[in-house]
Amino acid sequence: MKYRDSMLSATMDGRSKQGMQALWVLLVLALSPLARAEEPRQHIDVGKLPQQATLVEDVIVPVPSEVFGVLDKLGSPNWHDVLRADLPPVPGARPETALLLGDVIAEGFVAVEAQDPEQVKKIGRSVLDLSAAMGVRKAVIARSNAIIEFADKKDWPRTRRELDGALADVKQAMDELHDEELAQLVSLGGWLRGTEALTQVVNRTYTKDSAGLLHQPALLDYFDRRLAHMSPRLKSNEVVAKIQKRLPEIRPLIGEADSDISQQSVDQIREIVHDLVIAIAPPSP
Amino acid sequence: MKAFPKFALAFVCLSLLLPSHGRATIDDALSFALEAADPYVKQGFTVREDYWGGDLPVKQQKAIVHQLFKGNEYWFWMGTDVETARVSVHIYDSDGNLAEVEHWQKPHMAAARVVPKTTGSYYLIVEIEKSDRERTHWSLAYGFR
Repeated sequence: MKYRDSMLSATMDGRSKQGMQALWVLLVLALSPLARAEEPRQHIDVGKLPQQATLVEDVIVPVPSEVFGVLDKLGSPNWHDVLRADLPPVPGARPETALLLGDVIAEGFVAVEAQDPEQVKKIGRSVLDLSAAMGVRKAVIARSNAIIEFADKKDWPRTRRELDGALADVKQAMDELHDEELAQLVSLGGWLRGTEALTQVVNRTYTKDSAGLLHQPALLDYFDRRLAHMSPRLKSNEVVAKIQKRLPEIRPLIGEADSDISQQSVDQIREIVHDLVIAIAPPSP
Repeated sequence: MKAFPKFALAFVCLSLLLPSHGRATIDDALSFALEAADPYVKQGFTVREDYWGGDLPVKQQKAIVHQLFKGNEYWFWMGTDVETARVSVHIYDSDGNLAEVEHWQKPHMAAARVVPKTTGSYYLIVEIEKSDRERTHWSLAYGFR
């Protein structure tokens, strides 16, 4: 500021310093990009978005860390009770492998919450096996190793970040192989297992806030749309068909924007997603 | 050297010398978005590794639906490779009400922060407010804590 004053004093003889300071401030403000920033509208008509925006099909599917991060803040349930004991073997059909891959990555987050390094390491290896079956092993080797390494060190925040990254890498590699539909099944498998875990946790210590985490209409609609537009070959898969049939049953249970989700609804959601998760990852006999 | 290899070599050299207007510019836009994110990483925000982007004409908005969770805090960072462009990102709730608690715009970048009052769907509206290009590349990244 002193430098600015001296510059003005040297170049603008005969004018009051105060006046020049004010002029300088006005000049800086006028030239500042912040001064030109347009204030956003306080309200938009979301019903008219297709006209004013070129795309509303885009839905950002959150990474599991976003949900588990909130659960962290809500308290510490017994995650060992939520953690699955067995990891199913690689299925034969690719759609089921894709669903299971998403499911196992989501299971990794549960294992991180349970702070169980051995289970996380098993999951890291399972992710690699399932990725190999999908033809994207190379894309996740580094992530899988990092998951195992950080779990060994009990560095849970970094393990969680690597699990998020593994999900992104798998999907990107599958997109590059033009397996976009299978990549969507990876997301769906992860979402179903994550939702199942969420309902288990919410049901044990029910609060309106924790149940509110299940209010995910855009995601449900998105998955519903994606399933509807899948190729007949994928839709004819038994597990995919079951998911497509049962997913719409969740929609009325997740409530409207301002309404609460009751404990009974949480329980009903849990039953539906549990049934679907069992179809994706059948327990060992 | 035969004619084809010479041609191929020239093509490769030209490809390296000429700016590419596809992926590279979106990646350049992303680098500005991530530059905008940098100070917030130090504040504990986790930046998601995925990003969204494309190109838009001036004054045409694009809406992206995002599931946000009450209990988290989010920053969305938008970047562009066009120096003269002014971009914006704003966040609205499912009823269309402005939901962000702060926003800013700078050359090459813009950002908005939201602390969701409810868990649910939110609309991210991105826009090229000003640019000397017919279409301007943009990229969007976000972080949460």
